[in-house]
Amino acid sequence: MVAIMRHIISLLVSNEAGALARVSALFSTRGYNIESLNVAPTQNPDISRLTLVTRGSDTVIEQINQQLLKLVDVVGTADMTMDDHIERELLLLKACVTSDQIDGIREAVDDFGARVLDDRPEAFTVELTGISEYVGEFIKRVESGCKLISVVRSGAMAVSRGEALLGGL
Amino acid sequence: MNQAIHPLKGKIMSGAETVVQVLADQGVDVIFGYSGGAILPTYDAVFRYNAENLREDGTEPMPLIVPANEQGAGFMAAGYARASGNVGTVMVTSGPGATNTVTPVRDAMADSTPLVVICGQVPTSAIGTDAFQEAPVSSCLGPVAKHTFLITDPKKLEMTVRTAFEIARSGRPGPVVIDLPKDVQNWSGEFAGRGYLAVPGYRQRLHAARGNHLEESELAGFFEMLQGSSRPLIYAGGGVINGDATEELRRFADHFGIPVTTTLMGIGAVDTTAPLSLHMLGMHGLASANYAVEDCDFLIALGARFDDRVAGLPDKFAPNARHIAQFDIDPSEIDKVKPVDWHHVGILKTDLQALYDYGVAREIKPDFSAWHGEIADLKKRYALNYDRESEEIQPYAVIEAINAITQGDAIISTGVGQHQMWAAQYFDYKHARLWLTSGSMGTMGYGLPAAIGAQFAARDHLVIDVDGDASIRMNLGELETATTYGLPVKVLVMNNYGDGMVRQWQKLFYEGRHMASDKSLRSKDFVKTAQADGFEYAERLSDPGDIDRVVREWLEFPAPAFLEVVIDRDAGVYPMVPPGAAYDQMITGDWIPSRVKTAKKEVDRSSMF
Repeated sequence: MVAIMRHIISLLVSNEAGALARVSALFSTRGYNIESLNVAPTQNPDISRLTLVTRGSDTVIEQINQQLLKLVDVVGTADMTMDDHIERELLLLKACVTSDQIDGIREAVDDFGARVLDDRPEAFTVELTGISEYVGEFIKRVESGCKLISVVRSGAMAVSRGEALLGGL
Repeated sequence: MNQAIHPLKGKIMSGAETVVQVLADQGVDVIFGYSGGAILPTYDAVFRYNAENLREDGTEPMPLIVPANEQGAGFMAAGYARASGNVGTVMVTSGPGATNTVTPVRDAMADSTPLVVICGQVPTSAIGTDAFQEAPVSSCLGPVAKHTFLITDPKKLEMTVRTAFEIARSGRPGPVVIDLPKDVQNWSGEFAGRGYLAVPGYRQRLHAARGNHLEESELAGFFEMLQGSSRPLIYAGGGVINGDATEELRRFADHFGIPVTTTLMGIGAVDTTAPLSLHMLGMHGLASANYAVEDCDFLIALGARFDDRVAGLPDKFAPNARHIAQFDIDPSEIDKVKPVDWHHVGILKTDLQALYDYGVAREIKPDFSAWHGEIADLKKRYALNYDRESEEIQPYAVIEAINAITQGDAIISTGVGQHQMWAAQYFDYKHARLWLTSGSMGTMGYGLPAAIGAQFAARDHLVIDVDGDASIRMNLGELETATTYGLPVKVLVMNNYGDGMVRQWQKLFYEGRHMASDKSLRSKDFVKTAQADGFEYAERLSDPGDIDRVVREWLEFPAPAFLEVVIDRDAGVYPMVPPGAAYDQMITGDWIPSRVKTAKKEVDRSSMF
């Protein structure tokens, strides 16, 4: 049996037109899945960081990595899950909460360490950060206690613990 | 690169003039392309460049060759690139001009052929408005090219064009597309005469591969495997030719007495007539080559990628090899298909030289004479053969007749299908860059434009397009291109009135239902077609007794010459390893012996491609 593992891959790409399209096209043309994708500039305005979550066997992940490194725009890649790293995902969640549900929801917010951004019952909005699994558990808990309106997730992001990977960026 | 100050440094040029000047600096001596509104400024700059820089003999330094269709331009550039080793240059207009190059660009990517394709684009302000002849070039060509550049900042134009050539030819070569809006062509600014884009990641990886020399321990490990083997075999791919490592390969293989088989793309890496050359392996490889792969105990893969046409069943490929060593410039090819126990990512040319030097310095001279005897026996016993008594013209006989005259020194281009495999099998190839074919993509219609392009790379060389009746139809319009430019290409159409390879598969795997592959009721008269397009020599050969005479007449004609040969419709391509099968399932046909009794096995149609 080949073990299929979840991997968080961090990519530095030149901030050029089409760079994001090339990365996503690579995944679709070669039949790899992207579970989440997040992209934003780094401290160097010429370079953006792209964090993506994918699943695959070691062989598939190695191919993904090697194929990514063939893209001219890609400056470097790091498989965060291979080393000690810190993972976070940001959640913005909006729910419609009735008066008999409110206590349960507030309890969930406290238990998970979430933060209320808007407490109007018809648009009760909270923010939470944590690893993706934790974020998922929180959503389930809230869903069991009231009606969800919007779930906005950033997708996982990660940074290596200790020494920086990818040349300090 | 050259640090000398460019004589035109500081000159004010238009974007179009800048592009043309960089092309000239990059050594571009021919462009293939079709005009249109969005590329007109640059076409005009090519006109002026040629007029101002005429050679002493009155010829243009950068002629622009116009095909019937932009796909033809792409394959002309590919033929030029493959025959010369230089980057092929294509210049087309926006929209349909650009999208017509998708096939040759993907083809060039799949066969690692260096191209630079410059596409005009609607002005920057009109991009995204569904303007006339607008197409999303980056989106269409991005996934199939090595890289695409959309130039929105004219200040980066000069560096980008220069960098495009660098990317196309460096590392594992491939096609680079430049999407060039019309306003950028009309911009004017100062020519710097130097400078490249940073492309930091790419350049760093290139540098790492170039600097990755074989270390002492790696060399020792390699020779330990070689000396521990009794049946070593080199499996050489297109990477040997792209990496200009032919000479080093021949020296290494000869010195240590290692037999060589090549892939379709590697044909010519070694002289196919040499005693230790096994010629092509794979689905339609020679039986002797495939048996040698079965027998070898040490397989050395050089710039080859265990493609499905070579290793249909990777697990059963080279089943007796105790070790497999793989050399490649592209790290993604290591372990992609077939796990290997020794590999090196680097420059093949220097690696092969290092192997040779190491072995020579240590006086390593293994005795493989028993293996050489086996190879000679395989080659003799399982040689290619066909029905030599047939009353119909056998395609193999036609190739043998041509080869008797060309002696392994002609440039051969092909379409895709049976004729392609016959040309690969039956011609001799004494040198690299004589064999131009669409290997990975398998694009019918490649042959004629590739021959035209190759003739520009080797003006005095005999260039023959060996084509099929179905393949040549795909780019038939380019017949006129050959006569327009007075190119002495020789065009051979082996007419079996249909898609022969498809028929062969239908015969083998679809109970002989020749769905959509029979063209016997079509009305095409190829000879009249060639005549109409200006071929002064255009003949049809249908009597086997005339083969030698007509072939000689055709080859000796000092201008474009066309020959249609009506061949036996039932002629097949053998040997054949069925798709998705191992070499021990190889079908050798009626005329080549087989050393194993092949039990007919049901083939899974969905895994068969």
